[in-house]
Amino acid sequence: MSLWDRTPERRRATAWPAAATAAVAAADEDGGLRPGTLYRGVSGVDRGPVPMPVGQFAGLRDPMAMVFFRQGRWPMTLEEVLDGLTGAGELPAQSVYLISEAGQIPPDEAPGLRRDFRFAISRAAPGRDPDLLVSSDPGSVFLQVAAWDPVSRVFNYYMRISPAWVWTGDSWSSMAPESRGKGCFDSHVNGSVVMKELKQPWSNWQSMSATVQLAPDDPLRDNPLYRQVIGAERLELTVKGLVSRWTTARLSAVVDDGMVAHPDHLLRQLFTSTTVNLASTSTQSATVMSGDRDLSQPLGFWLNADALLNDLGLPVGMETVPTAPASLYADSLAAFGFRLEEQVSDFSQPGDTFFAFVVPEPAYEDNDVVRQSVEKSLMPARFAACALMVDFTNPVFSPVRAHLMRYVPTAPVPASTWCDDIASAVVAAARILPADSPEAEFARNWAVPEADWPGVFAQRVDVYLEKVTARIRTASGFDDCVRLAESRRRTFKDMRLNEFALTLPATDIPADAPRLRMNEDGTVGVVTTGGSP
Amino acid sequence: MTTINAYGPPGRLTDLDDIGKKAWHVFISDSVDQAITGPDPAEVLHDSPRPQFYNLTKTDTAADAVQAAVTWTAFPNRLKAAISDRQRWQRADASRDVQDEYCEWSVTRVGGGKITRVTFTCEGPEYWDVLAQTNPDKALDIYRAHIGPAVRRSDLFGPNGRYIRRNKWNDSTTQGAMHLIQQSNTLGAEIELAAAATIRRVIGGRELTGAQELIACAKYGVPDRNSDPHIGEVVNSIARQKADIALSDPVGIYFDDLATDGWSTPDGSAPKSFWTVERGDTGFPVRAVYEVPAGRGFAVGDITIGGRPIEFGAQIADFVTVKLTATACRLGTSTARPQTACVELAAGDDVTPGAFAPGAFSAHGYLGTHPDQASRSTRLVA
Repeated sequence: MSLWDRTPERRRATAWPAAATAAVAAADEDGGLRPGTLYRGVSGVDRGPVPMPVGQFAGLRDPMAMVFFRQGRWPMTLEEVLDGLTGAGELPAQSVYLISEAGQIPPDEAPGLRRDFRFAISRAAPGRDPDLLVSSDPGSVFLQVAAWDPVSRVFNYYMRISPAWVWTGDSWSSMAPESRGKGCFDSHVNGSVVMKELKQPWSNWQSMSATVQLAPDDPLRDNPLYRQVIGAERLELTVKGLVSRWTTARLSAVVDDGMVAHPDHLLRQLFTSTTVNLASTSTQSATVMSGDRDLSQPLGFWLNADALLNDLGLPVGMETVPTAPASLYADSLAAFGFRLEEQVSDFSQPGDTFFAFVVPEPAYEDNDVVRQSVEKSLMPARFAACALMVDFTNPVFSPVRAHLMRYVPTAPVPASTWCDDIASAVVAAARILPADSPEAEFARNWAVPEADWPGVFAQRVDVYLEKVTARIRTASGFDDCVRLAESRRRTFKDMRLNEFALTLPATDIPADAPRLRMNEDGTVGVVTTGGSP
Repeated sequence: MTTINAYGPPGRLTDLDDIGKKAWHVFISDSVDQAITGPDPAEVLHDSPRPQFYNLTKTDTAADAVQAAVTWTAFPNRLKAAISDRQRWQRADASRDVQDEYCEWSVTRVGGGKITRVTFTCEGPEYWDVLAQTNPDKALDIYRAHIGPAVRRSDLFGPNGRYIRRNKWNDSTTQGAMHLIQQSNTLGAEIELAAAATIRRVIGGRELTGAQELIACAKYGVPDRNSDPHIGEVVNSIARQKADIALSDPVGIYFDDLATDGWSTPDGSAPKSFWTVERGDTGFPVRAVYEVPAGRGFAVGDITIGGRPIEFGAQIADFVTVKLTATACRLGTSTARPQTACVELAAGDDVTPGAFAPGAFSAHGYLGTHPDQASRSTRLVA
């Protein structure tokens, strides 16, 4: 078990297996860290925290290193970090955000439920994007920092393990096989900062869509930082900007002398779901009543609209997102036994999450790699579109698209031809494979002439959306949609990104129910091969 | 313990003469009083009075007073049902009538192409009614300064001398934007909404706390705007702390910020440096322009947001936040009892947006207002 998992100074992950939680209680075996020392402890690389070598220490140029560590200053609390930056005149523009998965459950209705409030705080130079993000809680039980190094053009990740600080890796560590997905990179999957509820209504965050509920005597009310909390609608912009900053830096580094290093690292963000965003309707579940207005499911549930429609610009004719009668949604809550559960607190409450219909959708950080690759002419738009239109009705966790990763080389490839070469390999393979193979589907897309693909693909999307719009207005069609959503939620629940039990609802759908997929005719079927990539 | 002598002009603007200032104070003070009284209980049930809302000129603000800012995004939430960003930006840029988040804008292009300037305003129309009636020369001067020298007096005033809110220089997304004109975007609506939201609602033994359940029950605005549900939720959360609440002076809607995260300029300059407040005192901006000064070698349309060039004013509106500020005091002392039912018409009909005449609620009549232009509660707008 990695240092990251063993330390008690991390968030309380109520959704993780009990074994991991129990290990935390006995986690002090690495005690004895010396104060006034910066350690390095990259999960999967370092066997334990070791003092950072002088040469590496000298190379850190992010604000955390420059303001604190290189000055021999070792803040131990959130307030000391913020005050230290202010005292040094660095990054004076501060924005404070608040999140709690229990934040919309009235405190008086669940007095025994731990609220697990966390702050996210950004610091920026005036008029500039933030260079430092802090994640902590009101008591500084855990304290983690992502800080941008303008020289190395990476985020450095730090965590306080009292009485010291530990560098847990930088953005590139997320790509290295030995540390990928481990430690802090279980959530910073591709090396950038993360906010998994990145769109309105920003579930669980305090925002213009919902205010976190506090008990009248909650001590948080007296916390000066709480009084500075602003809406997560602002944090969305910040996180997107910072993700794009890292993507830009990364893409400029992966092409060297006309060769693309690690093409598989780039294209897994096209062909697979390396991580996901959690989207939902903007409607409070409790206000949905039979006969009320229609409910608009998140567009990302139906297809990767951000990539296909916004970034690649498919000229679809459809003008509004598919909607279902609210009564069908309300009926489904009872029919499928929707409830919120947190076993650690012995809490259970009937119904859906506060905002109705939370589902995983394609992650901004995956799409941003594709968007910038196209923008920088590293990847032809046609290639990206042809890939994304394979099994496009399953925008996340598609084993069909993931299957095509086998045609992506791992060794450096020529930047001028690499996508055409991969396409040729897939098309060649398709010649001897069944018509319903992933290769054949890609080959059919690739056969559409360069001038025609936007219109042809847009028409397919329009026809599909018309069909699902009709289907979800029927009781059976909507029930299928609920089952599909639950299937995708369960895939998400298997990811380390799923930290909190209250993030998603539980249902009565059997635990061994097969994973489902959406077909292009709007029907739902069983996934027959593969699973989560 | 203190009261203020008079409500000041929004943004602490200095356009009004003495008569205008008095007229403005009367408008705000009367609007607040009417909002405290609420609708006639013979016509509308469970919506009056509003004892936790108060008039800053008549009731003391206690020493424990705190300020609470309520902020929201300027891009119209109601357009987010579009299938793509491009669709929603096009729709938002097409008409001021859909810019319903108390922020409206107008776009200037070179030859109908690249954007060179986007003007944003959050000035309430009532202020301009008062200004134009009490000091028409000043109103004309301001139009000429901010819209263009071609503005004529006859463009702004009808044959009867009455100010035309939707005049040719203020009724489109291309000819300029002097003040708000979208029918929900009024200060009267802001006051009525804030007052109505001070009523606590305990329905079936449970106190409502969510933005959507509150607005569905109290019917104080349009549920699918960013602004109305959020304003109501925040005000109600303060009311639940048993505080008295007022809209802070000067009453108005103000720009909160322009975020520029992920923006990029051709020369690497700070994109926020091109955001200029043109009207309103420090901390109370009511008019702002996004424009690259001449001589920099590029224009607004050359700046990118998330890699995309700015092709629509709405792209900027995604990053603009607006706000109002409330004052809360006497926390924990209010003895006002919650309403135990939702708002309904006495006749038994359900209260739905647009279902009844404006007269059923606060009239907000004031000096010189034409009946057709009377400020209306947002609840009346479909």
